[in-house]
Amino acid sequence: MSTEALTHVHPSRRAVLKAAALATVAAPLFGARAAFAAEEYVIGIASGQTGGLAPFDQPSLAGFRFAIDEINAGGGFAGKYPAKLIIKETRSDTAQTVQAVQELVQDGVQFVITPADGDPTMAAGQITQPAGIPTMTFAGTAPILTSVGDFVFGSYPADNQQMLVLATYALELGYKRAYLLKSPDAAYTLKGPEYFAEVFKAGGGEIVGEGMFTMNQPDFSAEVTKIKGLSPAPDVIMTCAWEPDLPAFLKQLRAAGVTIPVMGADVCDTPTVRALGEIVEGLVHTSGGFAEPGDKHDAFNKAFKAATGVEPDTNYYVNAYDMAYMIDNAIRAAGSTDPKAVRDALANLENVPGAMSAYTFKGTDRMPLRSVALARIENGQKVLIERITPDAAALPKP
Amino acid sequence: MAGWLRPRELRGYERAASTAIALCAGAAVAAVLAILLFGANGERIVTLAAIYVVCAAGLMTFSGNTGIVSFGHAGFVGIGAYTSAILSMPAGMQKTVLPLLPPALAGWELPLPGALAAAAVAGGAVGFLTGIPIARLKGSAGSIASLGLLIIVYTVLSGARDFTRGNQTFYGVPRATTAELAVAVALAAIVVAAFFKESRTGLFARAQRDNEPAAVAVGIQPVAARLAAWTLSAAMCAVGGALLAHFLGAFSPRTFYFDLTFNLVAMVIFGGMSGVTGAVAGVVGITAILEVLRQFETGLAIGPITTPPILGIGSLGLGLGILAMLMLRPRGLTGGREAMVPLPRIVRGATVEPATAMVRAAVGLSVEALSKRYAGIVAVDGVTCRIEGARITGLIGPNGAGKTTLVNLITGHAAPTSGSIRLGDEPIGGAAPVAIARRGIARTFQNIRVFDSLSVLDNVAVAALATGASRRQAYAIAARELDNLDLGRLADESAGALAYGPRRRVEIARALAMRPSILMLDEPAAGMNPAETEDLRARLAVIAAARGVAVLLIDHDLPFVMGLSHDVLVLDRGRIIATGRPEEIQADPKVVEAYIGAPLGAVPIG
Repeated sequence: MSTEALTHVHPSRRAVLKAAALATVAAPLFGARAAFAAEEYVIGIASGQTGGLAPFDQPSLAGFRFAIDEINAGGGFAGKYPAKLIIKETRSDTAQTVQAVQELVQDGVQFVITPADGDPTMAAGQITQPAGIPTMTFAGTAPILTSVGDFVFGSYPADNQQMLVLATYALELGYKRAYLLKSPDAAYTLKGPEYFAEVFKAGGGEIVGEGMFTMNQPDFSAEVTKIKGLSPAPDVIMTCAWEPDLPAFLKQLRAAGVTIPVMGADVCDTPTVRALGEIVEGLVHTSGGFAEPGDKHDAFNKAFKAATGVEPDTNYYVNAYDMAYMIDNAIRAAGSTDPKAVRDALANLENVPGAMSAYTFKGTDRMPLRSVALARIENGQKVLIERITPDAAALPKP
Repeated sequence: MAGWLRPRELRGYERAASTAIALCAGAAVAAVLAILLFGANGERIVTLAAIYVVCAAGLMTFSGNTGIVSFGHAGFVGIGAYTSAILSMPAGMQKTVLPLLPPALAGWELPLPGALAAAAVAGGAVGFLTGIPIARLKGSAGSIASLGLLIIVYTVLSGARDFTRGNQTFYGVPRATTAELAVAVALAAIVVAAFFKESRTGLFARAQRDNEPAAVAVGIQPVAARLAAWTLSAAMCAVGGALLAHFLGAFSPRTFYFDLTFNLVAMVIFGGMSGVTGAVAGVVGITAILEVLRQFETGLAIGPITTPPILGIGSLGLGLGILAMLMLRPRGLTGGREAMVPLPRIVRGATVEPATAMVRAAVGLSVEALSKRYAGIVAVDGVTCRIEGARITGLIGPNGAGKTTLVNLITGHAAPTSGSIRLGDEPIGGAAPVAIARRGIARTFQNIRVFDSLSVLDNVAVAALATGASRRQAYAIAARELDNLDLGRLADESAGALAYGPRRRVEIARALAMRPSILMLDEPAAGMNPAETEDLRARLAVIAAARGVAVLLIDHDLPFVMGLSHDVLVLDRGRIIATGRPEEIQADPKVVEAYIGAPLGAVPIG
């Protein structure tokens, strides 16, 4: 093109160019439909990077991004669809999540990822289900969250899966009498022990008592007295409490001279719980994963630390890493990026190896069947007891 | 502007209509602009903002009018949300989501307008029941009680698992809230809030907020006013909650707990708590701040520069914005002032002649052997006296003589230990202050107590309203009383901005608007210079003579009292030591003795 042609742009074309320039600059402000390269696969993430869900969503987002970088280094999903992320912060607020997901759907994303909690995931699902966009929660474990519709998927072993494994192990240890410590303040702390009870009783065990606690009210003296007064004493106390209620309960329980073993859920799998000393000695808990030297989980931990300098001290990092590859496997199996095809392929994945554990969606209600690790805390370290992939047929109903 | 009333000239419901028009027009224009500029995104922003306007208008209806910050209204939002969600859920969905719901509540499948109405009723009912105890509390006690209510509502919603799924996500709510519906309800909420503020109950609430003892003295029941404001605000927040439920589609009790409380209170305080404009401005302001900051969360390309992504900048900016507002303009963006437009003069209608006489009944007050004992101290000891209509009776005595106690016994702020007080033939000893005010005993206070944030006209009208006048009559009476005391020019000024002399006259006009049989003036000339004192003396003389009202005048300014009174009572150590005409009193040696030392000297006898 001659320089003359470049400089003598027709006036009306100049106006069009000006308008186009303005539109490009203004488009992000006006939330206009973003322009995607033809072969990109766009994932919209609505996540609580601040607020109550930050401890779960922050590590999840970091792990997910690490995986996406890896995938893009290899050419993208299925080697040919470069991944693009649109991330929206929800401040752990359900209304903000709804707004964010509506915007993502508007922007034409092909997959939606939601925060690690039931409320925002289900609210989001009520938008993405009619829009036909596959949706997956970062680490939400309430098994009912997929009941919104068949485009909604979980990623982490659900509460009922973990409790099936834990209760089965409790029966194996010969426990016959269990005491449950529940709290109505969260679905997790209420339904978890109820799933445990269902399996425990089906296996011949007996629930000899139930106590209710209020979260963030660290006075368990009434509960401890009740437990002490049970005769004959229970063989095990089971709870889904987490910090600061769990340490407070354990301290008061042990200080009262009660030596009954305690079983907990995957919220016990944190360095701060392990650092509690004598009171958590022998505590058995479930976990979504357990890194052993040389295995894929351990390899991920090392690679993540090398790349980011951050030690992945919870399973949310690796779980989100696996999520990215779940999407990759689904696209490969579907042979296309069509949302319906991807959804169907995802729902039919069976025994696919992952870094944290293998996963199966086929035959489930879209909460993946994954192995659950049982760990015991000994001397401030977690020791693997065994890994069990639960039997889907024996799962307590959500 | 010949055919128009300027905003500062508007009164009563005219002000409400003016504010409603200004805000509704402004909100509608803003909503349309947002949708045109930002497309579908704009619609979402407008929908959520409109829902918050409904809730903020509800919160302001209580907190703005009573001055008590409520932390409990998120609970009413929750009650409205669950009520609407349960009653509008499709029957098929209900089997999965709420399998244990009692049959009486199952299968209603109400369309959204019906569900909103049900939410309003539920909110209003719970509001009324919870308001009965809470309306009795003032100031920070009320705020703390409302916080307790928030926790109670949350606990009940979490515990009623058969109805609400407890803390599990309540999902499957039909997402039926459109931008049009939300904006329409928001405009309705603005109108309701604006008109309530200027209504009889709204005025009563604002008067008791400004000065509770004065409100009681003009016949206002503070508890009733607070209860009415609380109940209405609960119903409004419940409607906002129903809209929110049908916007979210899924929620749990946590959705209506501390986070929502913080958002609502912050919006209302940011905009200015005491006005409807403040509530709307707060919502719009904070929504705007959040939306602008959200653009920066994932990094924004402005020409050649791309800002780095700062997740969390929304929360950060919100917190900083509220801090800045509290530091720089504690009364909020609007400072409680309302947006208004001029109105055509015809809305005012013709002025009405007050139909009522100036005095209800020309009866006197008789006190017989009245005593008041306070744990060993006898403040009033066997006082017997009579205060006649159309006469001014002065009450003097050294400090601690029991004059204030005697006044308190008459107004009902203290109950007699023995003896009786009769208004005409009716015994009133021990009756409540509000009842006594409504029977026709008016008083002014030593330290002037006007309703600072109300206009001069409203100050006087509210006293007429509280003592049984209809709205039109009350304003007619108020206009007449202001004219009588040369306050007509100041009718639309804010009472708190007046100089001392006019403020005192407002207080007297307000007392007279009650059409009292007895008018008690407690040191009316205190703090006045000689010219003002003489002006007051002349006015009071005319008032007593023209209206036939019985005036009891308590003052330390002896020339003033002597020059004005027909009769004088002298009180010392709880007992009447002398009664009679002023010249007799001045010559009485017992009286001179009671006042330490100095003789009264030559005093002009008026």
